[in-house]
This record gives sequence, C-alpha cells and structure tokens, in this order.
Amino acid sequence: MMRRRLGPARIALLLHVLAIAFAFGCGGGPPPLNLPPHAMVIRLADADDVPTLDPAAGYDTVSWTFEQAIFDTLVRYGDGNIELEPDIATAWESSPDATTFTFHLRADARFSDGRTVTSEDFRYGIERVLNPATRSRGMEYYRGIAGAADFAAHRNPHVSGIDTPDNSTIVFHLGAPDPIFAHKLAMPFASAIPRDVAEKWGDDFSRHVVGSGAFMLREWIGGQRLVLVRNPYYFAKPLPHLDAIVESVGVNQELQWLRFDAGQIDAVVDIPPAEFPYVMKTPALRKLTLAKTTVTTRYLGMNCQMWPFTDVRVRRALSCAIDRHKLIAILNGRGVVARGVMPPNLPGYDPDLEGYDYDPAKARALLEQAHLARGFEFEIWMRADQTILMLAQSIQQDLAPLGIRARLKPVAWGPFLEAIRQPRTVQSFMQGWEADFPDPENFLGALISRAQWGSNNDSFYSNPEVEQLLAQAEPVADLKKRYALYDQAEKIVVADAPWVFLYYPVTYIIRQPWVHDYVINPMRPTRFEHVWLSPHPD
Amino acid sequence: MLAYLVRRIIFGAAVLVGTSVITFTIAFVVPADPAVAMAGAKADPQTLASIRIEMGLDQPLYVQYARYFDRAIHGDLGRSYIRRESVTRLIADRFPATAVLAGAAMALSLMLGIAMGALAAAYRGRAADNILLVISLALVSIPVFWLGTMLLIAVAAAIRSFPLGGYSGATSLILPTLTLALGSAGYYSRVLHTSLCDAFDQDYVRTARGKGLSRVRVMLKHAMANALLPLVTLAGLDLAGLLSGVVLTETVFNWPGIGRLAAEAIFNLDIPVIMGTVLFSALLIVVVNLLVDLLYAWLDPRIRLAETG
Repeated sequence: MMRRRLGPARIALLLHVLAIAFAFGCGGGPPPLNLPPHAMVIRLADADDVPTLDPAAGYDTVSWTFEQAIFDTLVRYGDGNIELEPDIATAWESSPDATTFTFHLRADARFSDGRTVTSEDFRYGIERVLNPATRSRGMEYYRGIAGAADFAAHRNPHVSGIDTPDNSTIVFHLGAPDPIFAHKLAMPFASAIPRDVAEKWGDDFSRHVVGSGAFMLREWIGGQRLVLVRNPYYFAKPLPHLDAIVESVGVNQELQWLRFDAGQIDAVVDIPPAEFPYVMKTPALRKLTLAKTTVTTRYLGMNCQMWPFTDVRVRRALSCAIDRHKLIAILNGRGVVARGVMPPNLPGYDPDLEGYDYDPAKARALLEQAHLARGFEFEIWMRADQTILMLAQSIQQDLAPLGIRARLKPVAWGPFLEAIRQPRTVQSFMQGWEADFPDPENFLGALISRAQWGSNNDSFYSNPEVEQLLAQAEPVADLKKRYALYDQAEKIVVADAPWVFLYYPVTYIIRQPWVHDYVINPMRPTRFEHVWLSPHPD
Repeated sequence: MLAYLVRRIIFGAAVLVGTSVITFTIAFVVPADPAVAMAGAKADPQTLASIRIEMGLDQPLYVQYARYFDRAIHGDLGRSYIRRESVTRLIADRFPATAVLAGAAMALSLMLGIAMGALAAAYRGRAADNILLVISLALVSIPVFWLGTMLLIAVAAAIRSFPLGGYSGATSLILPTLTLALGSAGYYSRVLHTSLCDAFDQDYVRTARGKGLSRVRVMLKHAMANALLPLVTLAGLDLAGLLSGVVLTETVFNWPGIGRLAAEAIFNLDIPVIMGTVLFSALLIVVVNLLVDLLYAWLDPRIRLAETG
C-alpha cells in the first residue's frame, strides 16, 4: 500500500488545529459568580494575590483584610480608630498587676456552619498559633501566657495559662505583667477557630476556612479572585450590609486605575503616583478620596556596627543632610515629616520631639568633627519599588554636595529582608514599620532593643540606657508612667540617630460615589461590616 | 525508532534530575533563610529558631535533598512558605490559564508568521517583500510590556466590551494573545521567508516549475514541505517557553498563569515555589522537545533514516 506523504498545507493545518484545540480545550476562565441580580456587591482589586486566609499564617495587609471579615476575635478596634471595643467578648477585666485577663463572651455568636462559638474555640485558636507545627507568624505574641513553652515543647496537651471555666468565659494567666495583652488578642492570630474544621483540613485550612465573622468564603480561585458572601449566622444583625465582597487579585496599580475609571471596581487603595496629582486637581475625583495618617514610620536605617555609621556624628550628619520636605513633595504630599521613632496616632507619641531639621551646614560641621570632611561612599539597600527608588535618589542628591556618594541597591523584598538582617552586611537601608498594636513597645521594643538584632533591629543599634528604660517600661500598667519611660528612651534614640527618621505616610483611597461608610483605619485594613452601596450602574 | 525514543526519555530524565540538584543547591547557596521567609518580616529570633527545627532545616543538606527528591518523584513539590499551600496544587491551578494563552498565542503567531513569510517569499525582491520585511522587523522589535500596556489603554479602555485584563473567557484572551503572538509572528515570517527563498533555488522546485505548475502550487506543494521544517523546531521551543509562563504579559494583563506565580515567588523568596516552577518548566521543555524531535523525524524521512541507520 502506498503511504501518503503529509503535504505542507496539512502540516500547517495540523499545527493550527493542535494549537487552537490546546487553547480552547483547556477552559475559558473562571465560572460566573452566580450572585443574585440585585445583590449588594463591592468589587475590589489588589496587585498581590491573597497569601492566606488562615489566621495563624497571615501577617500582611491583604490577608488581614479578609481574615478580619471572616473571623472574630475577642476584642477589635473601631472602624476608624485604634480604641479597643468588644467583638465576641462583651466585657473584660484585668488584674491590677496585668497578669490575669478575663473575657466574657456573648452567647449568640455562631460560626458560618451554624455551630455556637465557645471559649474553647478561642483557646484552640491560640494553641494552634503556639504549636510550632503550625509555623505561625504570631507565636511571639502569646508566648507570655503561662505554660506556653511547655505546650510548644509538647510537654503539655494544653496551655496551662488558659482557663475556660465555662463556654462563655476565658481567662488568660501570664507569666509576667503585660499591660497590652488585650491588644494582642485583637490581632487575627487570636481568632476563634473551629477545631473540627481546622483539623480536618490541616495545612489546607486556608482554602476551607470557617469563621464567625460577618462574611464567609464562597470561592477562591488562586491568582484570579476571592469571593466572600454574608455569613447568615453573624451575630451583629442587620450587619453586614453588603451581600458579597469580590476581590480581583494580581491587578497591577495601573490596571486598577483603568478599572476604577471604567466603573468596574468600587475602591482603589493605591492610587498610582502618576494619577495622584490629577486626582487631587480634579474636584469631582478629589471629593471621592479619603486620607489618614497611618501608624507607620519610614526611615533610612544605618548599621551602627559598620563604618562609617559606628560614629554617631556621621549618623547625625546624615539626619541633618536629608531634606524630608522634598521627600514629601515627591510623594505628592502623602506623608508627614518624621521627628522620631513613634508616629502620630500612636499613644505615647511626643508632638514636641524636635528631631533633626534640614541643615546642610550643620551636617558638614559634624562630618568635619568625624574627620570625614571630604565625604565617603556607602550603599543604600531598598525594596525594588519605583516610589522608594525616587525617594532614595532624592537622598542621594542631598548627600552629594557633602561629598557623600550613596550607591543605590534596589532588590526584591525577600532578599532585601534577608540581607538587612545579616550582621555587618548592609550599611544602610530604606525601611518602614507599621504598628501591630497601639503601644510604644511595638516600636521601641520591637525595633530598637538589643534582643531584636538579627530580626527587626536591623540597624544593630544598642544602648544600655535605652535597654534599661525599655525593660522598666514593659511591665508598667500605669499608662502615664509607661509612656513617660518610653518617651525618655525615644529621646535617647533620636539623639543616637540609628535611623534618619524620614516620614509618616498618609494613606489615600478613592472610592466610587455609590460607596458609603467606607472608613480608613490608621492601623488595620478597612472593615466592611458597615459599608453599603447605593444603586449604581454595573 | 523505539531505541531513539528510549534514549531520549533517559536523557530527559537525566536533565530533570540535574535541574532538581541545581535548583536545590541554588536554594541553599542564596542567603535565604526559609524560616524568615515563612515567619515574615516581624518574626523574633525565638520564633525563627522553632520554625527551623520544625522544618527539618537542622538536618544535613543531602538528607534534605533526598527527602525533597523522594517527594518530588511522587508529585509533591513541597509547600509554599508564604501561602502554605501545596506547590503542586499551585502549579496545577495556574497551568490551565498559561496553557490557554500559550496555545492561542502559538496558533496566531503561526498563522500570521506563515502567511507573511509565504507572501514575502512569493514577492521576493519586490515592494511587498520590503514592506513585509519592515513590518516583521517592527513586530520583533516591539517590547512586550509596552505593546501590552498600549493595547490595554488604546483598545480595552476605549472599547468597553474588552475586559481590562483578567482571565474571563474568550474576549479576555484577545489582547494578551496579540501581545505575545505578534513578535513571534514577525520572527517566524523571516525564518520561513529565508527557507522558502532557499527552496526556490533548489532543483526540485525548478523541475516543478518546468512542469508548468502554478506559482502557488509550486510553493505550497513543493517548496513549503522543506521550508516548514525549521519552523517546527522553532515553534516547539517557543511553545515550551510559553507554557513555562510569560511573566511580563501575565503581569500586564492580570493573567493568572505560571509566569506570575514564579515572579511573585522570586519577589518573596518563596523557595519551594521557585524550585517547583523551575522543575515544572524543565519538564515541559524536555517533553515538548521530545515531541518536536519525534515530529521532525516523522516529517523528514532523512532524519528517520539517519536515526535508524
């Protein structure tokens, strides 16, 4: 039999048929949302994918946005402030020495599967965080509970310092006084977790979360979208007003703006820098914006163990040589000049702290005293980000007239964190810190103490006097005394200048005119229980 | 032919083992502490220490590699440090979107490339050839990120029926497909043009012409058969590259593919995901190359004879 040769036209046809079949045979996108036609749905977008919905694992703004919608904690912050208010706990009290905290739970809270929330669910949530097998990022906040170490070392099946005398009471006994312990219970790490669901799914709990919050997970398609719908069992009826939250993920800043402009998303948290001046000059858009100074400090860290920053005069010289107002101008006004470690809005913030003014002559004099009148060369590491790079270039220009040659080194976030934590590796770096809870300890203790070398004290700064003040302040429950001690410590830190205190960021969001009661919290992502939408075009 | 196939499969397996060794070694050479990646920016030293022990990072390197290899051959590529999810599942979730885009881009680039290349060769040395030369060079030269952004602004923002990025069915496929396909089409057209022009000078084509066959018939029936062979190799390599993910296009168009997954992993130093996507890409390249070689041998009897002889 004669074999027929494959003709060229057939080869081309075959290739096309194969390719087209391949393209369309694999499916055509996610299924439709299937929400009721008149459902009140807020549409959001983020450049980053949602890393996790597991409260034990998440420690970033995107994860927390949705974790706090799905889960409840004992206490929480107000929508627009950082005052503690009840969540599942209706009341709480602490012993005078701040070692025992008792919380009384409401009886009508239920998980989205209908089961009643009890004190055991809170105990399990915290024990899950403390269990090293969970590899939780929140472990450190609950290590102060008595018996936590024995539990973590598997010497005890439960944390002995957590009592649940009945379904609606939970008592925490601490190993040492911790006046801010209640704030640590407002973090999503301390959410009520249904043991049966968490144990059933193990590491995949994040994809099958069940919580008692205002919303519950309907759908999560990795890299595409996350859909939350109203939890029918939510205790605070008639909240939430929204029927659903639809988050598109992986949408870059520019694309978010195009979609907002086309009315396809309802709020943009990150207005692109190129669009920001236009927004602020256009009255119709400007009135749609909301602004708030966050509990965050941005700084240029200097490694106090590396030349030339071992010399305090050099560190002070840099503090005087950088024009912070220029940085704020680059940010289109989205910042406040920083004067110290602690930002405004943080209890204990000292508005009278003088900090450093832009004074090139003083900077030059300080360099002369340090025998560096001819300047020097050093490296600034930073996260690879267009805005941060622009700020670093401004700093580079400010330092050049003093003979200081700054080499800029933008790197990806992961490698950046790795590098700055290594001793004697990075001379200086652009970094920031957002508060986890509103207390000076979360800034000074977390960033400045000697114990944080190799983790958060990346300037490798240490001053025995500061250490002593921090140790004195930590257990003090009298807030006036506590803040006074931290204030003393901060003044010494400012004088020692391990950082150039740059600015406190002001966050701006823009929402569509049909979005109501959308509020920015200075320390946490926006909550959606009270948000509602008036009728609008799709 | 069977011996050839077995040899290629063994070679492919060796490539994959080599890739796994290299990626695993690199993961340990870079100054990346998995405990930091997992515990996040704010973790204290005690948390980091307990996570290191829990993850078995205190074990010797070869023990860790043996564990990784054993799991990998059973389809388990570990868990993401950041998302805590199975890397195999993350890749499986993202691959369909990448495959759809790669398939569509490959189809379009071949269609355009073959049409332009054949047309340019048919009008060799004339104005149409020169115009097509300029067009194809322009297509090759346009950067993907620029073209993608411009298409989004010009088309999607102006015509509301076009989705502004995302992966939502056939219409959402049009702009990213165009972005990816145009450059390759320009390249394919130049390769085909050169191959066809070479074929036109061959005796067998002159004979066909001498027999009085039409120009179109000579090209399609005789010249194209040989001229398409280099394109098969090129398209095969391109397809493997496309299936491994196209970072820029996926990022610009919010396309939930493997390229974006890999880029996010690199940005966050999520080593298991980086290793998983590299290994998966290597697997795709090995498989597609094997298929291309088999296709090539099937299409060209000379290659078949050389292999068996």
